[in-house]
This record gives sequence, C-alpha cells and structure tokens, in this order.
Amino acid sequence: MSKPEQNSKVTLEDLLRLKRTEKPAPEFWVNFEQELRQKQLTALVQKRRWWHEVPVLLNRRLYMPAGAAAIVAFTLVTVRYSTPTQMAQLVNTAPQIAAADPAVETLATTVVAGLDLEQSRHDMQTAPVAQAAVPVPVTQVASVDDREASPLPAQSELQSPPARSLIANLARLEQTEPDLANTVIGSRLSSPARVHTAAMSQSELAPVAHAAPSKYRLIARYVDRALSPEPSAPASIRERLARRLGEDLGDEISRIGVVGDRVSLKF
Amino acid sequence: MNLSKVFTKTAISTPERQQEADADLVVVRQVQAGDVAAFDRLIVKYRERVFGVVYNLVSNREDAADLAQDTFIKAFKAINRFQGGCSFFTWLYKIAVNTTLSHLRKNKMRTFFSLEKINEEGGNAQIIDHLTDKRGADRDTYLHELQEKLNEAMQKLSIPHRTVITLFEIDGLSHSEIAEVMDCSEGTVRSRLHYAKQFLQGELGKYLSS
Repeated sequence: MSKPEQNSKVTLEDLLRLKRTEKPAPEFWVNFEQELRQKQLTALVQKRRWWHEVPVLLNRRLYMPAGAAAIVAFTLVTVRYSTPTQMAQLVNTAPQIAAADPAVETLATTVVAGLDLEQSRHDMQTAPVAQAAVPVPVTQVASVDDREASPLPAQSELQSPPARSLIANLARLEQTEPDLANTVIGSRLSSPARVHTAAMSQSELAPVAHAAPSKYRLIARYVDRALSPEPSAPASIRERLARRLGEDLGDEISRIGVVGDRVSLKF
Repeated sequence: MNLSKVFTKTAISTPERQQEADADLVVVRQVQAGDVAAFDRLIVKYRERVFGVVYNLVSNREDAADLAQDTFIKAFKAINRFQGGCSFFTWLYKIAVNTTLSHLRKNKMRTFFSLEKINEEGGNAQIIDHLTDKRGADRDTYLHELQEKLNEAMQKLSIPHRTVITLFEIDGLSHSEIAEVMDCSEGTVRSRLHYAKQFLQGELGKYLSS
C-alpha cells in the first residue's frame, strides 16, 4: 500500500502543510454559527457566581482601595490582638517564675487569675515603663495603703497587673530619687509606706535574678539598673580622675602669665 | 490615535499582520463601546483559523467545533479586559490554545480521530501526487492512511510540542507570537519545535524522501 520509495523531495513540512487543507465544508459553518448563538444566549442567561465577579471588580482599578483596606484591617487586627498575645506568652512562662520563687507573683499569674485585659492594655499604654518591669512582687504591692498609693481605683486586687507594676516602680523611684519623683509625679505618691514597699520589692527581686531563667534574670537586672541611683565609680577611679583634672588645671594655669598690664598665653 | 503605537508588547511579524491588528483593534473598540454586533465580524474573520488550530491540536472535528465556540464566548465575555497590549489575533489564539489545553488535560485518555477531508486544491495536489504516485485507484486510500498516520504522530507528541508545531508549521505564527501565546520564551519555542520535528521525522520516516 505505501510507496515511500517512489516519493522524492517530500519533506516533513510538506506533510504538515497537508494538514492545513483539512478544512470543514461551508455548511459546517452554518451549524457552527447556530450553536454559537445558542451558547452565547445560554452564557448571558446563566447567573454568574460571585467569585467570577472578583477579577472583574479587581480589574476596575480597585487594586489600591482593596490593598489599602487590607492593610488597615491587618493593622487593626494586629493592634487589637498583639498585646494579649504578649500577655499570653507571660502566662505560659508563669509557672517557671513561680517555681523559681513562690513568693513572687508575676504579671502572668495575675492574668491567669482573670483580670481585665482591656484595663491592662489601657494601663500599659499610659505607662510604658511598667511593661519593662515585668516581675513584680504583688504581695508587697498589696500591702500598700491603696487609698493613698493609687490614683486608680482603690482595691489593688482589682488593679491590672501593669498598674500594680507601675505603682511598685514609682515607689522605687520615689525611694531612690525623691526630688525627681516629687517634681514629675507630684506629692500624691510620696508615701513612706510605698517607699518601704519598693525597697522590699527590690530586695526580693534579688533571688529571682539568680533563680529564674536568664530572660527573667535580665529583666530583673534591668529593673534594678533602671531604678537604682546613679552608679558611682570605684574609689580608685575617682582618685585617678581627680588627679588628672588637677594636673590639667595646673597646666592650663601655668600657660597663662600676667606681667604688668599684659596677659601672655603659651601654646 | 496611532494604533500601531499601542502594540508595544508583541513584535508583530509582518506589515500585513500589523494592518490586520490595527483593523481588529478598531472593531474591538466598537464592541467595547457597546456595539455587540461588531463582534460577529471578528467571529467570521477568525472562526476558520481558530477552528484550525483547535482541530490540529485535538484531531477531532466535533471537539474542535465545541472548543472554538467556547473560545469565542470566552473572548466575548472578556472583551472589556482587552487593553490592546497585544494584537487581538494573538489574544484570541491564546484563549483558544488555553481552552484546548485545558480540554486535553481533562480528557487525556479519550483520544479518537474524527478528521476532516484533505482538500486537494492548489499546491497540495502536487504533494499528494508525489505521495500517491498519481494512481487514482489507490489515491484516496493512501491519502486517508497518510492522514491518519500524520494525526497519530501528532497525538504522540506532548501537548506543548504539539502546540508549537501546530502554531508554527500549520498556522504560520512566528516564534515571538508563539512565545506570547504560550507564555514562554522564544528559546523554549525553538527548542520544542526542533524536538517535535525530530520526533515527527522519526514517526513518518517512510513517507519522507531519504
């Protein structure tokens, strides 16, 4: 049947060109058009699903508003849930702190006790310093005279953890820098009881700094560093500095000479 | 407005294609403006070419008719999204090829031929004469056998290779136009074309001159 030996100069392109001629008869197109009309009508009548509309909507230059709305929504969600998440992290680590020193009650345990998170966030916003000072001995704070100590509602049990932390830190500040505390905060916090409380809380942080995990040791150190009085240099350094200052001063004076009504300077 | 400046994305191969693209864009703008009947002109103009490319990919006239109709419906629905970044012809081909490829992937196992008759007019007659040794008795049978072998060999190619050789050898698109239709590089098109030709030469060796 096949006669390849008789064919000369037939290439693959020639064979493929044959396929171009595989065309339907003219009457085929009549039927084709009728079917196409029917399909078009069906497509017009068919109700489009909402997800088919999405690309069309996006195509109408809604990219920018949609993107902006997404960013705003993300920001709101982040702001709404970020702080409770941080608190939740503390909740998870609370047992470690409690194991390190049962006398110390952390913010996290207080959160577990079910205090109002909304209030705590409000307090944290108004007092960012309180966020840094995480482990606070609440037992000591609770012993403070609440009516005097807190500008917030009187019962310390109902105060949020950051508020309590703030109170404790302010008490420490008042102890170490009474003048500054008076200037900045006013006389409302200058209570001897609070000063006493803060001193005790600082002393109680010491064991925590050794026993708790490194993260909390660092925090405890930070609290000590932040609220301790200005660091004083060792005696030997102070002595060396004084000697150096004296020498410099003497040298400066020796360069100035006064003869009669003239003043001479040596360089 | 200079319409040729609109076509920045596609390198249109010939001046004729450029003129054709300009004319198509005018009609497309009419359709976009609400003149729905203008789309019929585009259907009449391109139905054979669209049917041809689909038919050569699926080797089945009924499937090809359905897919060509689907192509025009999709194009009509999406006509407002056509911005003129490429020629309407390329855009329509792209829809046709994607619709066909989607159909082929869904129906990989179901392949049966339903072929159109080869038209012996023009220069094709000489080739057919060469192939059939000018003997009327065996001519039709031999031609039918050749057509089947050709389509079988085409169907043995992978879908991308089949698409490339169909668009290049049968529909006469340039490498750059094929690259745009298939969303790939020109290098890929050339490579696929080379491989497809090698494969077909192996399959159809006994019909080719040595």
